[in-house]
Amino acid sequence: MSVVAPDRSSRQAFSGFGVSAESNQIEKLEQDIVFHYWAPVSRVSPVKRFAELSATWRSETALFSSALQMATHPAYQEIIGMGKEALPLILRELEVQPAHWFWALRSISGENPIAPAIRGKFSDMTKAWLDWGRQRGYLE
Amino acid sequence: MNPLEAAFPNLAQAGYAITSPATPDYNCIAWAARDASAWWEPDPYGQYFWPAKVQRAYTLGSYEQAYVTLGYGRCPDGSLEAGFEKVAIFADTKGIPTHAARQLPSGKWTSKLGPNVDIEHGEVQGVEGPDYGSVAIFMRRPAP
Repeated sequence: MSVVAPDRSSRQAFSGFGVSAESNQIEKLEQDIVFHYWAPVSRVSPVKRFAELSATWRSETALFSSALQMATHPAYQEIIGMGKEALPLILRELEVQPAHWFWALRSISGENPIAPAIRGKFSDMTKAWLDWGRQRGYLE
Repeated sequence: MNPLEAAFPNLAQAGYAITSPATPDYNCIAWAARDASAWWEPDPYGQYFWPAKVQRAYTLGSYEQAYVTLGYGRCPDGSLEAGFEKVAIFADTKGIPTHAARQLPSGKWTSKLGPNVDIEHGEVQGVEGPDYGSVAIFMRRPAP
């Protein structure tokens, strides 16, 4: 069953007739509570949230010379804070538009598929993490 | 405003040219070390390349030692000296290394800008600014 947020405008169209200003204010508050229950900023979908954070991170770290600088950017930290929910999103992004997601993948998963022989080799590191993601079922 | 000139306030005055397409394959530390095949960084997880036997730490001492393994030693400045190749290690106000540039035989400098492009800049100070801080150490070795 799909759930649809209430139509705010139609409800407001009936308010305000023969009731006090206080009642209108209370009704408005009640409408806001109901509306924000269904569509709060804090409950943006993980996919949308990740996309926004990723875009911010890319644009604001485009010239950073170290993965440390990139990883300590607030948007990147927020993605790490999403936990395992972010793993498939990061891996999909790594597959389509490779970037330095290795720090986040290691931080969230606690694993490190990078063999000493491929340390720093971006393409090999990317492949190692994508293979890891497929083996763990995070990627198809 | 040009994004490079916005990020590096001294760059336009120093003069510069973009010399490669953007790539995440290597960073400035590697590029200064003449390695375009790996990203050099002493990350605690050991995912990036760092010379064996050099401590994996984000300190100027560790970065200096990384170049020592390539035959570099400290020198007082970035002036052009016949027969020597120089690198400059940059650090932020906390002393954390942020960048490295390599001097070219012409006296100009070459920098890889993170996962972005390589540039050639007339003065080493061309890439000083909020992102990379300022030059902390100059090193030199006999020109290869």
